[in-house]
Amino acid sequence: MTFNIGVADLIRISPMIVLFLASLIPITIKVLRGNREQSSEATLFQGLGGLAAAAILQMTVYMAVADSQNPMIFANALVIDGVSFWVGMVALIAASVSLLLMHDNPSTNGEQFSELVFLTLSSVLGMLILVSAADLLVLFIGLEMMSLSLYLMIAMSHEQKLSKEAAFKYFILGSFASALFLYGVSFLFGTTGSTYIPEIVQQTGQLINTNRLFLIGMVLVLLGFCFKVSIAPFHAWTPDVYQGAPTPHAALMATAVKAVSFAAFLRIITTKSLVGSENLFNFLQWLAVLTMIIGNVAAIIQNNLKRMLAYSSIAHSGYILVGIITVGVSDRTSFGATSVIFYLIGYSLMTLGAFAVVSLFEKNENSKIQIDDLAGYSKKNPVMAFCLTVFLLSLAGVPPTIGFFGKFYLFTSAIGEGLVWLALWGVLNSVISAYYYLRPIVVMYMKEGEAEDSNMSMGSTRVAVLVSAIFVVLLGVFSGPIYALVEKALL
Amino acid sequence: MILSAITFLPLIFALILIVWPNARTLRHLALGFSVIEFIVSLAMLSQFDSSTAALQMVERYPWVERFGISYFLGIDGLSLWLVLLTTFLTPIVLLGAWNSIENRVRGFLISMFVLQTAMIGTFLAMDAIFFYFFWELSLVPMYFMIGIWGGQRRIYATVKFFIYTMLGSVLMLVAIIYLMFLTQESLGTMSASLLDFYRLKLPFVGGQFFTLQTLLFFAFALAFSIKVPVFPFHTWLPDAHVEAPTPGSVILAGVMLKMGTYGFLRWTIPLFPEASEYWAWLFMTVGVIGIVYGALVAMVQPDLKKLVAYSSVSHMGYVLLGLFTFNHFGMAGSLYQMLNHGVSTGALFLLVGMIYERTHSREISRYGGLAAVLPLFTIAFFIITLSSIAVPMTNGFIGEFLILLGTYKAENAFAYIAVTGVVLGAVYMLWMFKRIFFGEKGELVKDGHHPLHDLSAREICVLAPMVLMVFWMGLFPNHFLDFAKPSLDHLINDRGNYELAIKGQAFDTKTASLLLAPQSESAAQNEKTGEVQ
Repeated sequence: MTFNIGVADLIRISPMIVLFLASLIPITIKVLRGNREQSSEATLFQGLGGLAAAAILQMTVYMAVADSQNPMIFANALVIDGVSFWVGMVALIAASVSLLLMHDNPSTNGEQFSELVFLTLSSVLGMLILVSAADLLVLFIGLEMMSLSLYLMIAMSHEQKLSKEAAFKYFILGSFASALFLYGVSFLFGTTGSTYIPEIVQQTGQLINTNRLFLIGMVLVLLGFCFKVSIAPFHAWTPDVYQGAPTPHAALMATAVKAVSFAAFLRIITTKSLVGSENLFNFLQWLAVLTMIIGNVAAIIQNNLKRMLAYSSIAHSGYILVGIITVGVSDRTSFGATSVIFYLIGYSLMTLGAFAVVSLFEKNENSKIQIDDLAGYSKKNPVMAFCLTVFLLSLAGVPPTIGFFGKFYLFTSAIGEGLVWLALWGVLNSVISAYYYLRPIVVMYMKEGEAEDSNMSMGSTRVAVLVSAIFVVLLGVFSGPIYALVEKALL
Repeated sequence: MILSAITFLPLIFALILIVWPNARTLRHLALGFSVIEFIVSLAMLSQFDSSTAALQMVERYPWVERFGISYFLGIDGLSLWLVLLTTFLTPIVLLGAWNSIENRVRGFLISMFVLQTAMIGTFLAMDAIFFYFFWELSLVPMYFMIGIWGGQRRIYATVKFFIYTMLGSVLMLVAIIYLMFLTQESLGTMSASLLDFYRLKLPFVGGQFFTLQTLLFFAFALAFSIKVPVFPFHTWLPDAHVEAPTPGSVILAGVMLKMGTYGFLRWTIPLFPEASEYWAWLFMTVGVIGIVYGALVAMVQPDLKKLVAYSSVSHMGYVLLGLFTFNHFGMAGSLYQMLNHGVSTGALFLLVGMIYERTHSREISRYGGLAAVLPLFTIAFFIITLSSIAVPMTNGFIGEFLILLGTYKAENAFAYIAVTGVVLGAVYMLWMFKRIFFGEKGELVKDGHHPLHDLSAREICVLAPMVLMVFWMGLFPNHFLDFAKPSLDHLINDRGNYELAIKGQAFDTKTASLLLAPQSESAAQNEKTGEVQ
C-alpha cells in the first residue's frame, strides 16, 4: 500500500502544521528549562505568534487556492473552502483573544501556563480539522481533539471546586454526545456505504424518507452537534460549565467551539437537504424555537453574570439554528450560509468582549461575579463600562452594532425562504432578550455603587475589550463589504 | 450634502464633547453647537422648494449593495417642519436644563446629541433599513436619559419604555424585510428604498385579517401606535414622562412621539392605502378614545407632570384622528398639531421643570396662590395653557379646528365625541391653573424659609421663543402650512397610487429606479444570478 501525499496537499494544511509545531514550543521550552515556567509574557507571545502565523498562512493559502477547481485534499478527507476559511479565522481570532484573557486571569495564569497554551493551540488545531473535514471520521477526530483539550483546560483551573465539577460534567456529557455521534455515523455508513460527507448528502434526498436507519443515523449525528452548540434540550451542561470554567475558557467555548460546530452543521445540512424530509425539518424547527425561548427566559432570572451569558449563548444558538434550517431548505446556498457565518463572526466578537469584561472583574480564582457587583462601574471606569454596554446592546440586536446586522441578515434569509414564522419567533425573542441585556447596563449606569474591576492592570484584557468594541460597531456600520466577501467565498 | 450635515453634525458634536478637556465650558459648547445646528437647518429651509411635492436635496449612496440598502436621505413637505422642530427645540432644552442636570453633564450632553442625530435621521431617511436604524438608535440615548437622570422609579420606567418600543419595532422589521423581498419579485433587484416600496401594489382583500396588505399594515401600524402612543398602548408614556428629567420629557413629548405619527404619514398610509382606508374606523376610534380618556385621566392627576403627560395622550389622539380622515383639513391639521404639540407640551414640560427646580414638588395640592409670588412665570404659564387648550389666536386652535373640521367631513359621529375633548381639555388645564396660581397660598408658596424667585433671564430666554412660536403659528398658519401643502395634496389626492419623485429627475417609474441605482452593474449582475437561481 502506498501513500501519495502531494506537496500541494501539505501546503494547504500548512496552517495546521504550523499550529501544531507552535503548540509544542512552550512546553518544550519548559522541559528544557528543567520544568520551570518561563515568564508568562514569553509564553503568551509564543502562543499568539503561533496563532498569528496560522492565520496568515490560512489567508495566504486561501487566496492562492481560492480559484482552484478541486478543493478536496488528502484523498477527499479534507476540504479547503470558504466555510473552512472564514470559520477557521473566527476560531483563530477567538483563541487569540482567549489567550490574552488567560494571561491576565487569576485562575489561569501563573502555574502551568505553558501547558495551557499548548492545550489551547491543540484545541484550535482540532477546530481547524473539524471545519475542513469532508469525512465523518476525520470530523470526529477534529471534534475529539478539540474537546479533549478543553476538558483538560477546564480541569486545570486554579479554582478548586466548581471548575473540577464543570470539567467532569463536560467530559461525561461530551463523551456521551461523541458516542451518539459515532453511533449515528455507523448507521450512515451502514446505509450509504460511505463516510464521505458529500456522498451522504447526495443520498439524503432519496434515503431520508425511505430508510428508517438512515434517518436515525442522521438524527444521531445532528444531535451530537446539537450538544456541542447547546441546542435545547441538550443545553443543560452549558450554564454549569461556563460558570465553573475559567472565564477565558468559557469565552473560547462560547465562541470558537460554537462557531466550528455550526460549521460542521453546515457541512451536513447543505442546500435542499431538508427539502422533502418534513420530519427532520419540523424537528429542527421546534428545536430552534425551544432553544430561543429556553435560553432567553432562563437568562432573565440569572443573577450570576457568567450564567446569564451562558443562557444568552444558548439563545443565540437558537437564532443560528434558524439560519441553518434556512440553508437546508434554500436552493441558493450562499445566502443562508453567508448569513450564518456572518452571524458567527459578529456573535463571536461581542461574546468575547462580554466575557473579557467579566474576566476583568475576577480578582482571584474564586470570584463569582454577580450582576449587582457591577453597580456604579460607569463612574469608576467609563470606557470599559461603555464597551460592555456596546456588547450587550449588540447581543440584543440594537443598531448600529454588528449584532443588529447579524440578526437582520439571518432573518432576511429566513424570510426569503418563506420561514416567516421562525423569523417572528426570532425577533420576538430578541425583545425578551433585551430585558436581561439591559440589566447590567441599568446596574452599571443607574445604580449607586463602588464596583471596581481587578486591581491588577490586566492590560491585554483591556486591549481585547477595546478592540472588540470598536469592531462590533465598525463591522456593524460597514457590514456590507464583509458580507460580500463571505458570500464571494462561499459561492 | 446639507441633509447629511444636518443629520450627522450632532454626532460629530457628541464626539467632540467626549474629548473636550474643560468640564466647565461643556454646557456653553453644547449650546453653541445646537445653535449652529439650528442655523444649518434654517439654511436648509431657505433652499427648500415649496412648490413641489417631490423629494428634495436627495443624497443616495449604496450601503449594503447585496440587499439594495442605501444611504438615502431626502426631504419633502411632510418631514420639513419636524426636522426644524427638532433643531429648534434642542438649544431651548439645553438652555432650559442648564442647572437641572448637575451630575454627569458630559454624558447627558452626548446623549442629547446622539438622540438628535437619531431623530433627524428618522425623519430624513428614505430607505427602510436606514430608517429602522435611526428609529431603534433613538431608543438608546433616551433610555440612558431617563435611567440616569430620572426620578425615583426611573429604572422601571426606562426599561418599560425600551422593551415596549422595541416590541413594536421588531415586527415592523419583519414587515420591512418582507417588503424588500416583494420588491425583488416585482423589480428584479432587491431594494429597501421607500420609493420602490411605494411602487409595490399589494393585493388587498377587505374583511380578512390574514391577508398580505392587512398584516403588513398592522405590523407597521403597531410599531407607530406604540410610539405615538395610541390608546391601549399608552401606558409607558406617563411612566416615562414622569420619571424623565425635564429635557428628556421635552424631547420625548416634543419630538419622539412625532416619530410615530410621522411614521403613519410617511409609511403606513401611502404604503397600504386600501388597508388604511378599510381600517380607518379602528384608528379613528382609538384616536377618539385617546382624546377623551387622556383628558379624563389628566383631570384627576394629583401630579402636575403626570397631568401634562396624559394631556399628551389626548393631544396625540387628535393627530391620529386627523390622519385617518384622509382629507385636506384633517391631514393638514394633524401635521400642524404635531408641531403645536411639540411647542406647547414642550413648553409645559419646561415650565413644570422650572417650578420643580424651585420647590422640588410636583404635587398640585401643595401649590396655590402662585400668581401673586411669581407674576412673570404665571404669565408664561397662562399663555402656554391657552395654547394647549386651543384658544383662538394660539397655535393649538388652528390644529384642533382643522382636525375637527376634517373629521366632521369624513365621519361626523367621531367629530361629536372628539369635540368634547376640547371642552375637557379646557377643564383640566384651567382647573389645574386655578389650583396652582390662584386661591389661598399653598404650603410650598407661603414657606418663608425658601422664598420663590421669579423667572431668571435665562429662563425668559428659554420661554420667549416658545411664546413667540405660539402666536406666530396661531396667527399665520400659512407661513408653515404652505411649505407642506404640495406634499399633503399629493398624498391625499394620489393616495391610492402614491409615488414620490425626486426633484430634478424624470418622473418615470422604471427609469427612475434604474437611474437612481448607482450600482447598475451589480444590479444587472443580481438580475443575472436571479435568473440562474
